[in-house]
Amino acid sequence: MTDKIKKIALLGNPNAGKSSLFNQLTGLRQKVGNFPGVTVERKSGIAKLLNQQEVEIIDLPGTYSLYPTSLDERVALDALINLQNKDFPNAIIYILDVMHLERHLLLLTQIIDLKIPIIVALNMNDVATQQHIFCDEKKLSDALQLPCIKINGRNGEGVEKIKSAIVDIFETKTSQSGTLFYPLSASEKNIVQKTQSFYNAKNEYHALLLVHHAKRSNFISTENKSQIAQQIQANAFDSLDAQLNEIMQRYEAFTPIVRMVLQKSFSNSKTITDRIDAIVTNKYIGPFIFFGLMLFVFQAIFAWSSIPMDWIDGQFAALASYIQNGLQENTFSKLLVEGIIPGISGILVFVPQIAILFLLISLLEEVGYMSRAVYMFDNIMQKFGLNGRSIVSLISGGACAIPAIMSTRTISNQKERLITIMVTPFISCSARIPVFAVLIGFVMPSYKIGIFNSQGLVFMALYLIGIMAALIAAYAFKKILKSNDVSYLMLELPEYKKPHWRNVFYTVYGKLNSFIFGAGKIIFFVSIVLWFLASFGPKHKMEEAINVATIESSMMQYDKATTELHIAAKKLEASYAGIAGKFIEPIIQPLGFDWKIGIALITSFAAREVFVGTISTLYSIGKDADNLTIKQKLQQEKNATGKPVFTMAVALSLVLFYLFAMQCISTLATVRRETNSLKWPLIQFVYMSGTAYLVSLIVFQIFK
Amino acid sequence: MNITRNITVLRIGEQAQIVDFANNLVARKLMAMGLLPGSSITLVRSAPFGGAFYIKSEHHYIALRKEEAKQVLISND
Repeated sequence: MTDKIKKIALLGNPNAGKSSLFNQLTGLRQKVGNFPGVTVERKSGIAKLLNQQEVEIIDLPGTYSLYPTSLDERVALDALINLQNKDFPNAIIYILDVMHLERHLLLLTQIIDLKIPIIVALNMNDVATQQHIFCDEKKLSDALQLPCIKINGRNGEGVEKIKSAIVDIFETKTSQSGTLFYPLSASEKNIVQKTQSFYNAKNEYHALLLVHHAKRSNFISTENKSQIAQQIQANAFDSLDAQLNEIMQRYEAFTPIVRMVLQKSFSNSKTITDRIDAIVTNKYIGPFIFFGLMLFVFQAIFAWSSIPMDWIDGQFAALASYIQNGLQENTFSKLLVEGIIPGISGILVFVPQIAILFLLISLLEEVGYMSRAVYMFDNIMQKFGLNGRSIVSLISGGACAIPAIMSTRTISNQKERLITIMVTPFISCSARIPVFAVLIGFVMPSYKIGIFNSQGLVFMALYLIGIMAALIAAYAFKKILKSNDVSYLMLELPEYKKPHWRNVFYTVYGKLNSFIFGAGKIIFFVSIVLWFLASFGPKHKMEEAINVATIESSMMQYDKATTELHIAAKKLEASYAGIAGKFIEPIIQPLGFDWKIGIALITSFAAREVFVGTISTLYSIGKDADNLTIKQKLQQEKNATGKPVFTMAVALSLVLFYLFAMQCISTLATVRRETNSLKWPLIQFVYMSGTAYLVSLIVFQIFK
Repeated sequence: MNITRNITVLRIGEQAQIVDFANNLVARKLMAMGLLPGSSITLVRSAPFGGAFYIKSEHHYIALRKEEAKQVLISND
């Protein structure tokens, strides 16, 4: 035995119960990442066997057969036929749902023919038991000549047996069945023999799969690819016909087994799923139920998370002031108090929103509801290049784009997922509200229109503009982006079942983990940089700013607090951020923005709501001032020619800028992580902020 | 037996038997999902905004887009 850790792949059809078994086997010792080169989620974890040996469990994407139709399925296939693939398993645990024994045997017989050691896990799902469907695992084991073990994903029954079966496979090296389920046809045999003469395939069926998939398999050399292509041509081999023929023959081979091992009393009576779906997917009621649920999700992330978020904010603020009082004021203590602590706080503050969203989403996914949403909204969303699941992301984006973008992982079509990621930040998130709230007074005076408040209507208009922008952008991306995947909808709607709380817990845990240690790192780094830019400047300039501010304050006979505010404003002006604000002034002037707004645009990259804080500092408004005070102060601001700075045109331009611009480094960091590339966050930044610039430019030039 | 009929012509609640598939790619996917020639299916309902069908075969529920549903050829049994 080599000392390299053995790899065991979990394989099965979608909805067979793979994730339950994965969680039972690995517990918290799991990692979420990507399969190399693609953004398909790769979950792996360590399982400790009974003899203390450790094995790596890899959760392969669910697939119906070794003839993939999506990128997810292709990833699973590659792991099984590419001998150089790091995930090529030493053994496979095949999960089979008794409820759907027949069609789940198709993939199983394919991997049996590949001759990778297999343990069959029979998932006795709750629905099967309720419907009196029973499976004789001894008979099945004899027929397949494989170890077959009953498991229960809910209570962990059978998991220990699986572990000891793994030990058996590696120790006794029991040679598994030699009989093939699918004897190759004459023409297949011919091609396979030729292929084996130049390619070192494991066995006949492996070679046959290589022939079928050569064109789309990157691990096969160009030379071998053309050799295989030649063989296909020489034998007039129709790959797709051969695949269909193989699938039919496999069904014929294992249908007798199903009849032998399965006891079912199939009745035409309505099942629970029938009854639920009659309402939930009803043509007229279904959409209302969906939007009701979505309203609940939105409300939950919006309202429930505010208490823990405020608490986290408060705890870190208290910690900062505690340290500030305890430490001498120097650069280090400032870095700690104004840079590091707010940086960490700025990451952790997202935790409640992410946790609540994924709690609800994974619940909906667990019970089987999500695929119904896809079915109901497929037609509408298709028009915009999106998926039914995209609606969940778009609505969650109303609270925060970060959990919303993370939730796109469940969209299996890569193009639809990418488009959802690209457009979700257009939806007005909660961080835009403070900015809108301060500026809206300049855009629209408050008065009543019927039962509505005029400013409330503007708020609503801003949300609607955001939604429209997202849909228009999605449509544009749909036209621009090319996709290799054929667009189709052949979707299994799984039976409704009670959620496995363990699975929900691990989903939430995994998402938080990958956010904090993935995107969190970038957010932390950027917030330190932004703090540095706003706190430091060229030394002489900073000193000069302090002197000037002190002299001005004493001339104006300011009290102590006002003097401090005045100094802070002058220091920020002299800082690197101030210099940058002045530097970009010529660029943003056509939008009606001066250098002070420029500084706020830069600092609010940390988070949009920072805009309010920066503006308060620049205009020497105390930290605790409410919106009304800020508004009054801003109204008094005059520029060099004596005209007010914050006119209606400037405020409108600024509001629209914040509505469209990609002003959030945390979102960009999340997009970078979720797309596994720098390209997409860059494109997103350019196209969103470009739109913002254009819209603000046009609006300001019209209204000024 | 009229085999030019496909799923899209079924009435809600109507049952039929799959005879063949007009498209091999659709055939491969649906067969792997357990819908074979000979399988009995019922059209349960159509989607709220059109475009998709909800079909049932024994205790197996599948959503199909109109384009795919057209490829599934049926005869009444």
